[in-house]
Amino acid sequence: MTQHHLDSSTLIGYSAGALPRAFDVVVEAHLSICPACCEQLRVAQHIGGHLMSQQQGAALPAGAREAMLARLSEKEPVVPVPRPPELRRPSANTLPEPLWPYFGETYGDLRWRTIGPGVHHIRARDVQDGHLMLLRLAPGRSVPMHSHGGNELTMILQGAYDDSLGHFAPGDVADLDGDVEHQPVTSPGVPCVCVAATDLPLRFSGRLARMLQPLFKL
Amino acid sequence: MMTPDPASKKVTPLGATRRVSHSANQAATDARYWAEQMAGVAARQDTDCFMRIYDYYAPRLLRYLLGLKVAAPQAEELVQEVMLRLWRRAGLFDPARASLSTWLFRVARNLSIDSRRGEPSWLESKRDLDWLDQLGCDDPASSAESFTDHAVIARAIDALPAVQARLIRMSYFEAKSHSEIANELGMPLGSVKSHLRRAFARLQAGLKGVQ
Repeated sequence: MTQHHLDSSTLIGYSAGALPRAFDVVVEAHLSICPACCEQLRVAQHIGGHLMSQQQGAALPAGAREAMLARLSEKEPVVPVPRPPELRRPSANTLPEPLWPYFGETYGDLRWRTIGPGVHHIRARDVQDGHLMLLRLAPGRSVPMHSHGGNELTMILQGAYDDSLGHFAPGDVADLDGDVEHQPVTSPGVPCVCVAATDLPLRFSGRLARMLQPLFKL
Repeated sequence: MMTPDPASKKVTPLGATRRVSHSANQAATDARYWAEQMAGVAARQDTDCFMRIYDYYAPRLLRYLLGLKVAAPQAEELVQEVMLRLWRRAGLFDPARASLSTWLFRVARNLSIDSRRGEPSWLESKRDLDWLDQLGCDDPASSAESFTDHAVIARAIDALPAVQARLIRMSYFEAKSHSEIANELGMPLGSVKSHLRRAFARLQAGLKGVQ
């Protein structure tokens, strides 16, 4: 089962609508497989609803009330909103559903681009806010030591890695801020595939790592 | 306003009182009151019940959306969409599952995000309140909000240390990323997050305590 969960501060930001879009996507990917974090999200929404109702309101424009009343008699849209289809659980071959609009449905169809020895990535198009990417790291390798100028939220999809924060297996998230410098080492066997959101480029330390920097452009 | 606002007599005047026990009990009474108004909308399409909800919540939703930096004309339109959704889907509202304020907060948040992305279909997008309910994390025993929960949350927020309360409010109402909050307050990002984490744990512990 999932060992590493979303930070409650991340869930607050998500529930408030304050996260960059790229982070929302990773949060939703984790929520789609983690009942514990869903439960935490409900608490965050409850707090938000309560605070919203206790706020001093803003003045509505003149005529808003009448306009609202007028709309109540509007006919319902002809097509009633159907209950969305059941969310499908990710299988061995499919990505978590919240990632589909950005990367497609199956691992088999991913078009990886090499950015360094044993390192592949795919950048999500259409994310204006933050950077969203899939990363695939060859098994049994270490990623150069790096820290994050801003925040990084990573969810493991396949394979696993270890760093000073522990062992990260599929479903786990690493919810890191800029202060953390880490050097993940991927587990032997299968490549480690993860989805990562960042708000600022990663910073590599060390000479070799700095040479990699332009390749990553993360 | 065309009609006197019956709700205002029953609802805590905003910021009017700091008497904690009073406002905490009031929060539970309010939640029950709003559930009754919703029941009126669901059962009878009762316009008066609906407009009581509107008169109280529309200005608050507007304030929340403006805080998310939605431009005023669009925010005003979104408020109407949120309320219209409530009108049309009142039958789906289950007060045992989430309070009216939580429900409105969720819908407003989702609609604002969808509108920000500029998708033509944002009004009926699947990023709806139903989304969460499909995640299999819908254990009624643990996730139901009871009316007393509102009293507990109100009390717990009042009891937060000032810095934690401020960070919680900034996170929810100024839609600031934690990095922005850190910059603004001259506080390291890690401290912002750890304060928020502690505040959240306190509020959550309060809720667990009543169950």
